[in-house]
Amino acid sequence: MNYPYWQLGFPGGVLIALVAVLHVFVSHFAVGGGFFLVATEARARRTNDAALLAYCKRHATFFALLTLVFGAVSGVGIWFTIGLVSPEATSTLIHAFVWLWAIEWVFFFVEIAAAIIYAKTWETLSAGEHQIIGWIYFVAAWMSLFVINGILTFMLTPGGWLEGHSLAAGFFNPTYWPSLLTRTAAAVVLAGLFAFVTLPKDGAREQVARLGAKWMVAGAVVMPLGLWWWSARLPLFSHISLGMGVTSVTHALRGGVGFSVAALLIALVCGAWKPAWMRPPVVVVLVLCGIGMVGAGEYLREYLRKPWAVNTLVYANDVRASEVAAITANGVMKSAKFLPHADAASPEYGRDLFVLQCGACHAVEGYRGMARRVDGWDAAFAADILQHIHMLRGTMPPFAGDEQDRKALGKYLAGLNPEWHLTITAANKLEMGKKVFDSRCGHCHTVNGSFRPLRGTFEKATAAQVQEVFPALSAMSSNMPDFNAPADQAEALGFYIAHEANLPLPANTAPAQMPTGTNHSRMRRPVKPGESATAMAKVNQNSPAQEVR
Amino acid sequence: MQTMIPHVDPLPLPGPVWLFTLLLLVVFTLHVAAMNSALGGGLWTLWNYLRGRHAEHVYSRRLAQDLASMLPVFLAFTITLGVAALLFVQVLYGNFLYTSSILLASTWLMVIPLVIVAYYGYYYFSYKAVEGKGIAGCALAISVCILLTIAFIFVNNMTLMLRPERWLEIYRARPNGWNLNLGEATLVPRYLHIVNGSVVLFSAILAQIGMSRMKKDAGYGRWLVQRSALVFAACTGLQFLLGMWLLLATPREIAMTLLRDPLAGGVFGMALVSVIAAMLLILLGSLAEKPSKLVTAGFGVSLLTLLLMVCLRYLLRMAYLKPYADLGGLQVQAQWGVIVLFVVLFVGGLATVGYMLALVTKAGKTATAK
Repeated sequence: MNYPYWQLGFPGGVLIALVAVLHVFVSHFAVGGGFFLVATEARARRTNDAALLAYCKRHATFFALLTLVFGAVSGVGIWFTIGLVSPEATSTLIHAFVWLWAIEWVFFFVEIAAAIIYAKTWETLSAGEHQIIGWIYFVAAWMSLFVINGILTFMLTPGGWLEGHSLAAGFFNPTYWPSLLTRTAAAVVLAGLFAFVTLPKDGAREQVARLGAKWMVAGAVVMPLGLWWWSARLPLFSHISLGMGVTSVTHALRGGVGFSVAALLIALVCGAWKPAWMRPPVVVVLVLCGIGMVGAGEYLREYLRKPWAVNTLVYANDVRASEVAAITANGVMKSAKFLPHADAASPEYGRDLFVLQCGACHAVEGYRGMARRVDGWDAAFAADILQHIHMLRGTMPPFAGDEQDRKALGKYLAGLNPEWHLTITAANKLEMGKKVFDSRCGHCHTVNGSFRPLRGTFEKATAAQVQEVFPALSAMSSNMPDFNAPADQAEALGFYIAHEANLPLPANTAPAQMPTGTNHSRMRRPVKPGESATAMAKVNQNSPAQEVR
Repeated sequence: MQTMIPHVDPLPLPGPVWLFTLLLLVVFTLHVAAMNSALGGGLWTLWNYLRGRHAEHVYSRRLAQDLASMLPVFLAFTITLGVAALLFVQVLYGNFLYTSSILLASTWLMVIPLVIVAYYGYYYFSYKAVEGKGIAGCALAISVCILLTIAFIFVNNMTLMLRPERWLEIYRARPNGWNLNLGEATLVPRYLHIVNGSVVLFSAILAQIGMSRMKKDAGYGRWLVQRSALVFAACTGLQFLLGMWLLLATPREIAMTLLRDPLAGGVFGMALVSVIAAMLLILLGSLAEKPSKLVTAGFGVSLLTLLLMVCLRYLLRMAYLKPYADLGGLQVQAQWGVIVLFVVLFVGGLATVGYMLALVTKAGKTATAK
C-alpha cells in the first residue's frame, strides 16, 4: 500500500524464487566448494599427487568463474528483486539488521578478494601460502553464510526479537542453528556434486569421482538431521501448512527427497562405483537434481512462512501487519499511495485491488492462477469470503480494505469466469454437488479429510438435513460466509455432503486431525488496535504442543 | 498530479545518520573508483586492443594485454563495493530508492543479467587477449557496450529517485516497469559526465600505472604516462563542458544550492580547484623526458577530486529531496554493540586482504628477482 506494485505479468514471488533458487544453488557451492578445493589441494600436496593437483587448478578456475560471476551477481539480483517485489519486507530487514548485513559484506569482500587471489596464484605463491589463501576464502565464505543465515531464519522465527528488538535474540532465533547445520551440510553435498562437473578424463578421474561421492554422502547424512531439528523448531502455523496435504507442498517434499536420493544414487553408482559412467549427460542430470533439491528446499521455506514475508511484521503481499486495521477502517483508496486508477467507481478498481493485494502470489491464470480458484463464485459470495480470507487455509493474509473495497474486488474475482448455469439431474447430482462443494466449501473444509472435516457434523444426516443448515451458516459462526447459491446447487451440495459423510471410512483411518470449527488462523491475525505486538508474538511462536491443548 | 512519498520504515534507524552518511560516502567513492576502472579501463583497453592489431603499435598491444587481466578484477570490486553502497543508501533513502526502482523495475532488473554477460565477456577477453583474435575484441566491445548501458540505467534510476513529483504519472502510464526517466533534463549530461568521468579517472590511474612500469621498461612506461596524461587533460576539458551543461540543466533552485549553501559551495569550489590542480600536475609531470613524481601527486589529487565530487553529488541529492525527506527527524536507536563489532571486523577484513596482497607482492618480487 505504501509502494507502487510492479505489474510484471506473473506473481512477483515466482521471480524471487527463480533468482533465489539459482543463487542459493551456486552460493552454497561457493561455501562447500571452497572447503573441498583447499582440502583436496592439501591432500594432493601431502601425497605429492600431480594429477590431483592439476585437477584442483582446473576446478579452481571453474569455481572462480561460477561463484565470482554468477554467484556474486545473482546475490545482488536477490537484493534487487526483493526490493522490487517486497519493499516493505526488505526495508524491515534492512532496518533491523543493517549492521549484520554490513558484517556479512565484510566477509563477502574478503571472500571475493581471496577467491581472485587463490585462482591466480597457483604458480606464484608457495604451497603453504596458497593454502592459507584457500583457508581464508573458506572461513570468509562460511562466515558469510553464518551471518546471512540469521537474517533468513529471522523471517520465519523472529523469536525474542519481537519482545524488545534484541538483535542477538533475533539473530540466534529458534531456527538459527538447525538451519545453519542444514545449509552447511547442503554446501558439502554441492561441493561433492560440483566435483563431477570438472571431472578429468584421465589421471585423477577415479580419485576425484570417489572424493565427490564421499563429500555428497557426508553432507547427505547430516542434512536430514538438520532438517528434522529445523522442523521441530517451526512455529505451529508452519506445521499446519506442512500437514494440510496441499498438493504443492506434497510435491515439494517428495521432490526434495526424490532429487536428493537420485543425486546420491548417481554419485554412488557413476561416481564411486563406475567413474567411467559419469559422462556429460549424467553430470547434467546430476546438476539438475541438485537444483531440484535446492528448489524444493527453498519452496518449502517460503511456503511454510505464509502468510508472512516476515513473521508477525509484514505479510506475504507486503502489507504491514500493523497497518491492516487502519487500511480496513479507511479503505484502500485513502491508504494506497500508488493506485493505477484514481477512481474507486471505475471498473478497473477491482483489478487494481487484485494486483495490489494478491499480485505478489497470484495471477489470473497459470501458476497460482485465481480464475480456477474462484470458479462458481458470485460477487456477493466473493466479497464475503474476502472478509474471512485469512481463515481459509491459514496461508492467506487478511484482506486489507473497507466494505467498498471488498465488494469491488469480489466483483472482479467473480468476473474472472463465466457465470455458472448448471444443469443438475438425478444422474449427475453427485458430480455437480462435488463441483459446488469445491467452489463454495472446499477452500476451508474437507468432508473426510484432515483439514476441518465436516464428517463429524454431518455423519448420519440426510441430504435434506444438511441443506437445512445452509441458510444458518453465517449465524452459526462469524467465520462462515452467507450461503447464497441457487436452490438447485444447494440441493446438489447437500446431497454430496450427506453422501460423502456417510461413506464407510477405510479401516485404520486416522481420526480427523482438526475439528470443524478449529480456527488456527487466529495465530496469524493482524495485531488489533490496543493489542501489544508481544502478545501476538506469543501466539505466533506457539509450539505445537501448546496449541493442540 | 499528486506527489506521493512512501512513509519511512516504522523501525528506528539502527545508527546515527552521520555514520550512515559517512559510510555511504566512503564506500560509494570506492565503488565509483572501481566502476571508473571497469568502464574507463574497458574503453581504454578496447581502443588499444584495436589499435594494437597494427604491427607498429606495440605499446598499445602490450597495454591491452596488461589491462586484460585487470578488467574482471575491477568489475568484481565494482560489484562488491556497490553492494555496500546499496545497503547504506537503502537505510537513509529507502523509500525513495525502492519507489524509483519499482517504477523502472523491468529495466532496472535487466542490470543483473547484463552485468553477468559483461563480466563473462571481460573474463573471456582476459583469457584470449594474448591471441589477438577478433572474437576476443568482440567480447570486449560487447562488455563495454553493456557497461555503458548499465550506466545509463543507473542514471535513470538515480535521477528518478530525486523526482517524486513524476512518480505517480509514470506508474499510471506504465505499471509494468518498462520505463526510463527520459523526461529528465539532467539525464543526458549526467550520463555523459559519468562516462567521460570514468575515462578521466582511469587515465589518472593509468598514468600512475605508467610510473610504476617505468622501472621495468622506461620506454613503455613513458609512453603510457604521456598518453594517459594527454587523454586525462583532453577529457578533463570535456568534463568541464559537460559539467556546465549538467549545471544548466539542473533546476535553478537546486543549482543555486552551490551558491547559497556554504558547504555545497565550498565543496564545489574545492572540487574545481583540485581538478585543475590534478590536470596541471599530471600534464607538467608527464612532459619531461623522465616523468616526475608530479604525476603521482596528480593521481592523488584526482582521487581527492573524486571524493569531493561524490560529496557534491550527495549534497545535491539532499537539496533535491529537501522538501520530501527529513533525515534529521528520523527516530534513531543506535545498535552500538554491533556497530563496534562491524568496525572491528571491517578493520580485520582490510588487514586480511592486506595480508593476502602482501603475500602476492612478495611472491611477485621474488619471481622478478629470479
